[in-house]
Amino acid sequence: MVNPVLFIVVPLGLAFAIPLLKYISKKIIRFVPALAFLFNLIFALRLIPVVMDHQVHVQIGGFIPPLGINLVAGPVGMLFVVLIALVGFLVSIYAFHPIKEKDEDRYHILYMLQLTGATGVVLTGDIFNLFVFFEILCLASYSLVAYLGNRAGIESAVKYLIQGSLGSGLILIGIGLLYGQFGTLNMADIAGRIHSVQSISVYVPLVLFITGFGVEAALFPLNAWLPDAHSSAPSTISAVLSGIAIEVGLYAVLRVVFTLFGITHMMGLFLLLGVLTLLIGELCAFSQDNIKRMLAFSSIGQIGLLVFAFSLASTLGIAGGFFQLISHTLGKALLFLAAGYMIAHTGSMEIASFQGMGKRMPFTSLAFTIGAFSMVGLPPFMGFPGKFMILKAALHDGQMLTLILLVFILIATVIEGAYFFRVVQVLYFAGEDLPDRERAPVAFSRFVPMFLFTGLIIVLGIYPSLITDLLDASALELLDRPDFIKSIIP
Amino acid sequence: MRKLISIILLGMVATGLFMSISQIPFGEPGERIGDHFINQGVNETGATNIVAAVVVSYRGFDTLGEVSVLFTAAMGLGAVIGLVRRKKTHTPIEPASLIVYTGCRFLFPVILLVGTYIVIHGHLTPGGGFQGGAVIASAFLLMYLGCRGKRIRENLSRGLESLGGLLFILLGVTGLVIGRDFLFSFLPEGEAGNLISAGIIPLIYMAVGLKVGSELTGIIDHLIEDTDELPE
Repeated sequence: MVNPVLFIVVPLGLAFAIPLLKYISKKIIRFVPALAFLFNLIFALRLIPVVMDHQVHVQIGGFIPPLGINLVAGPVGMLFVVLIALVGFLVSIYAFHPIKEKDEDRYHILYMLQLTGATGVVLTGDIFNLFVFFEILCLASYSLVAYLGNRAGIESAVKYLIQGSLGSGLILIGIGLLYGQFGTLNMADIAGRIHSVQSISVYVPLVLFITGFGVEAALFPLNAWLPDAHSSAPSTISAVLSGIAIEVGLYAVLRVVFTLFGITHMMGLFLLLGVLTLLIGELCAFSQDNIKRMLAFSSIGQIGLLVFAFSLASTLGIAGGFFQLISHTLGKALLFLAAGYMIAHTGSMEIASFQGMGKRMPFTSLAFTIGAFSMVGLPPFMGFPGKFMILKAALHDGQMLTLILLVFILIATVIEGAYFFRVVQVLYFAGEDLPDRERAPVAFSRFVPMFLFTGLIIVLGIYPSLITDLLDASALELLDRPDFIKSIIP
Repeated sequence: MRKLISIILLGMVATGLFMSISQIPFGEPGERIGDHFINQGVNETGATNIVAAVVVSYRGFDTLGEVSVLFTAAMGLGAVIGLVRRKKTHTPIEPASLIVYTGCRFLFPVILLVGTYIVIHGHLTPGGGFQGGAVIASAFLLMYLGCRGKRIRENLSRGLESLGGLLFILLGVTGLVIGRDFLFSFLPEGEAGNLISAGIIPLIYMAVGLKVGSELTGIIDHLIEDTDELPE
């Protein structure tokens, strides 16, 4: 069994080593990220059966948890580690062909640091350590958004930087308040004591955490940075931002709400917030002409749906939420990669410029179409079981508020269908009268990740039972708080 | 109206923060973990500087994270500033006056020495890798001001930066290799107060000092370059 700390240390060490490897050969550095995340993927998958049986706890530096920092590799953590490694590996194949001629090494270093930060956030059991890794994730994201070096990129990176830093500041204040009251930074230790003080004095840190992490998780009033940042970043980075970064932000919110604070009574508010985020995201996406902005707004909508599912706070709802989260990660990464490849050929992000792509780039168009269908929730793709599980959980919940909100979710899905079908229609059926242009050349490194993402979306759409055990275990980890605390602080 | 809402919201946040802070006992003993660090820190880690014991030993993983945060910031800055095209024609550099020039040349080795001292004695006296590294970088800043036109070799600073990071990670992984935890202090603690004591803390601080010093120098070097208009 591999020590889970290596999932953080190996990519970090390789990122540190890239400037030295550059002396040996400039060519090999582009393969380093793929190597690191392939390592993570293989060993994380092998660790999954172990964590299904029992959580794996790792001490660092040889000190027992409340004194030192610990890592908690439970089902939730490992689910995210596998997802990050999978997306990290496939997207890094896409970058075998350089994104930009200059500064290639910095791109790979920042890319690896970004995903290392994400891995650290989901594995750590210490709230301050979580903040440190969250900072690595955010800082790398800010600079990668500006990587292309055009005005739009730098402007949106600055917007992202300002909002993100404000959020980080709030988180740090929240951590300070908690440390002052409990004298400890270990999440399980704090969780075990949180109900021993007046609720008002933990209410403020809770609000600070939700606001701070909510910026990265793109919850409704805090997501103004997202459409600009996701649309002006390089396509590989858009895929990672949409597929990993906001999900990790959401993970932090979940960990804080469910595990750290053990909140059970304000779920109505979160349900409402989720549906609001969903409706606004989908409505904005509907009115976009720019394909990447459309996808970015669609991510906001999907996050809303996830918040709704998790706020049901039932095993069914949370398992459904995790399924939809994986489905969104794979689908949105595929959509951004496919859209990026088409943009590279047309030189324009306007949806209208994609006329006749179905003939010129048949495989990319097909991949985009499958991603879009999965997003909308059509069988046999992965979005269908995801949305179906959330629907079932909401009906099972049966409260009046949930049922009313469910109507809005269905309306939002119809809107989502409308704008995705519009793109698919442009790809295949518009511009029949255009002169036949020859097919675009095939780049191997671009096709492999798209092919694999497509394959995963179809396989998991047909056999959702492949992962449902892991998802149920993850839901249980979030809901069974006393067990989580007892396993770390006996 | 908007101002009124802002004021009300601000008042709510301030009240909440006040009520939360008023719960916190200041300066009283009895914080379990803080007390443990103060009473047992020297015994358990061998470092007389308790801050170093906490930062490098108990919470060494955070320090690795912080080093990576700085590394990310330096890389990000390089990537963003590197986007801007260098000016073809450099404006002629006005040389510094004799006093500044001589002063810089005199102070440069002294500052380097002080920085190195702070790094190496991090486990004994206040200071450590971050602080010492910053002092070392300030020596290079002074050189840029005094001996204008001289530049550090970018490749060298980036190489040292990498070496520092790798050294930190290797020290951590050694703990795993000998069958203990990551960042486990595998060297004897020695006698507290001696230069060679406190297990791996001085070694980690040297790695951090190397990394922080070369990183901050690199940042200064980037920021000092002439910049041109952004490309559209």
